Amino acid sequence: MKKVIVHPERCVGCMQCMPACAAAHSRSRKLFAAILESPVPKPRIHVGVGLCHEGFPNRCRHCDPAPCLLACLPGAIFRDEELDTVLIDPDKCINCASCAMACPFGVIRYHEDCHAPPGKVVAVKCDNCFERQEKGLIPACVEVCKVNALTFEEPGAALKRKTDEVARSVSLGVSQAELPAGSPRFALLIGHKRKELHVGQP
Amino acid sequence: MNDTYAGRTITRDGQLLLEKAEKDRVETVWDRFENQLPQCGYCEMGLSCRICVMGPCRIDPFGEGPQKGVCGADADIIVARNLCRMIAAGAASHSDHGRDLIEVLDEVAKGKASGYRIRDAEKLKRVASEYGISSDGKDDLKIAEQLAYAMQEDFGTRKKALTLLRRAPARRRQVWDKFGIAPRGIDRETAEMMHRTHMGVDNNWQSLLLQALRNALSDGWGGSMIATELSDILFGTPKPAATAVNVGVLKKDQVNIIVHGHNPVVSEMVLLACRSEDLLQLATSKGAAGINLAGVCCTGNELLMRSGVAMAGNHLTTELVLTTGAVDMMIVDYQCIMPSLGTVAACYHTRMVSTSDKARFPGMEHREFHPDNAAEAARALVKEAIENFTNRGEVYIPVEPVNAVGGFSVETILGALGGTPQPLIDALKSGTIRGAVGIVGCNNPRIRQDFGHVTLAKRLIENDILVVDTGCAAVATAKAGFKAADAAQMAGPGLREICSALGIPPVLHMGSCVDNVRILVLASVLANALGTDISDLPIAGAAPEWYSEKAVAIGAYFVASGVYTVLGPMPPVTGSINVVKLLTEGLQDVVGATFSVEPDPEKAALAIRRHIEEKRQGLGLPAQKV
Repeated sequence: MKKVIVHPERCVGCMQCMPACAAAHSRSRKLFAAILESPVPKPRIHVGVGLCHEGFPNRCRHCDPAPCLLACLPGAIFRDEELDTVLIDPDKCINCASCAMACPFGVIRYHEDCHAPPGKVVAVKCDNCFERQEKGLIPACVEVCKVNALTFEEPGAALKRKTDEVARSVSLGVSQAELPAGSPRFALLIGHKRKELHVGQP
Repeated sequence: MNDTYAGRTITRDGQLLLEKAEKDRVETVWDRFENQLPQCGYCEMGLSCRICVMGPCRIDPFGEGPQKGVCGADADIIVARNLCRMIAAGAASHSDHGRDLIEVLDEVAKGKASGYRIRDAEKLKRVASEYGISSDGKDDLKIAEQLAYAMQEDFGTRKKALTLLRRAPARRRQVWDKFGIAPRGIDRETAEMMHRTHMGVDNNWQSLLLQALRNALSDGWGGSMIATELSDILFGTPKPAATAVNVGVLKKDQVNIIVHGHNPVVSEMVLLACRSEDLLQLATSKGAAGINLAGVCCTGNELLMRSGVAMAGNHLTTELVLTTGAVDMMIVDYQCIMPSLGTVAACYHTRMVSTSDKARFPGMEHREFHPDNAAEAARALVKEAIENFTNRGEVYIPVEPVNAVGGFSVETILGALGGTPQPLIDALKSGTIRGAVGIVGCNNPRIRQDFGHVTLAKRLIENDILVVDTGCAAVATAKAGFKAADAAQMAGPGLREICSALGIPPVLHMGSCVDNVRILVLASVLANALGTDISDLPIAGAAPEWYSEKAVAIGAYFVASGVYTVLGPMPPVTGSINVVKLLTEGLQDVVGATFSVEPDPEKAALAIRRHIEEKRQGLGLPAQKV
């Protein structure tokens, strides 16, 4: 089964996944209309800041066993085996934050949502865009990511590609190996930012 | 001291006021910078294009996603177009500032600008003669009227080349002619740059960048140069004068007024009002010991250069200075005025006033200044500032000011040398002074405030390299004490000897950011005296903490004029290795100078010293290994 896979070395920090995610989970499914909705839709993917000010798209890993699911006393969190996705039932959620305490990745947020009863604050997180998938679409964050920092593919295929990259690096030898990010242009920027960050710091 | 504050700025006043700001829950530029992280990598690389609405588009730097915009533009074209538009915006800003001064000159000539007058008639005649305007039998106002008209023509379409290009060495002008980058009209080059970057016009990244150089030259040898020359004519050519810098220049017992922005057209009128007897008496009647006018940013530099007015801080200090609670009024014109200032001021009693018909800000009252009402408008504002003195709450002025000397126009420098550049050339030839470097530009929260400027200046003067600086860089080195009367002690033996003999500091304040043209004029004087081109001189430029589009235009006209220029922050160009290579290598074969990018000022100093020694060798002067 295809999954969303994160390639952190490719994230350029544009944060386009965030509004795309929020719009995909809005009532209208359209960005321009979504920002006028109430409640304003919020993203389920969150771009964090690395040590060199690079980005990292942080989203639910749909763990198995899932710590959030195990911590959920009212039983609002469940695993949909068919989708291989951990989901939250907003009607059962009691906004107790136990799932957030249990989550190792900090990807569960609490706010009103158009899929929850009006006025109720509930736990919200990535649902693998199952509604989009039912329509034959790929998850919104992947669709909008033009640098392939997020891909939607069979984990086996992704792992094979990575293995092949490592194999090529080994056969080229260390001196000729491709930069990990695979882009001299991005490496130039990140290299500069790394230097800039440490200049003159006490 | 909290490490975060020390990591943000090297300045003591900045660190203490950051602490105050946090206590007062005032959000600063550094907080907003952190909130923006991570910043968009497409944009940082210049790979996003918002020029048309078939887009917006972005190019995947990893090579798997889209490699062309909807129109078909590749990374080279998109990066070049974006850089070109930055330069056009920078050139437009400086040049529009210059145009405002022409309008004042014109209205002075027509007797419609009370408060303004010709203060340097000798310079008026000198510049007029460069424009082919004879002074014989004409009064100053007639000359001014004709000069204003001639300068307006420089802005238009009717000329084949800008008048002041003639100040450049003959060999430099030949280079510009050879590559077709001699600017024709100031507005024309900016308009053509915008035209050429429209979808479907110029799609050759090299020819785009050549036009960008021409556009930048229309700023350096056009708009900015006119701004500087007319400011001297209208407000006086700067002469060395004692001043003081940092937030400590604010006075607890006086009415404090701060001017912020760029154009002396407003700040000079405020200065006039602050010195008027009746308003001083009003201040006394309100319990104040006087009226204390200080500047921030470049309009502060304009006043500092001509009248020794104190300077409270540079770009990243503009919010912090308000957190002292000691500012009774801040009067702004345009450029580099953060739209957050009104919000900061709302936490204190400070009144915020905008004055330009083209620059408005949230949380500020708008009181428009025009040449015909400026003197009266300034008096009215100063009166209101005095009345606001009694509304002050707690005042926190955490440091004592640092002494400095400013006011080094080209005229002053040559005057100090006895009217000829020969003593400076002799010192360069003998190696007593190795070379000269212009440190210019802004602050940027990416770089610890003032660290780049101060460290670079320190390393250069230690190695007998004369530093001239402008803008926020000039304020940074002044805060660090490099412009004090006894600062020659910080210089290497050769530079120390010269500076002590002339009684000048080793870092010379040459003015505001439009005044970077003074550096071009000085370089031309040296090149002409040596019978060579600017690109052969042992000189360099640096912008260690730049942030603005204007700074890109300045860097580009420095390089196009033959000055090797080292930038601290990276311009948004890494998305195209072709563009990077052209800027850092290829331009050597075009204009005889290149850009370099080095955020670490220690390494930048080494690169500059190496460059200077290479140029010395090229001129057959004694050179050292660096």
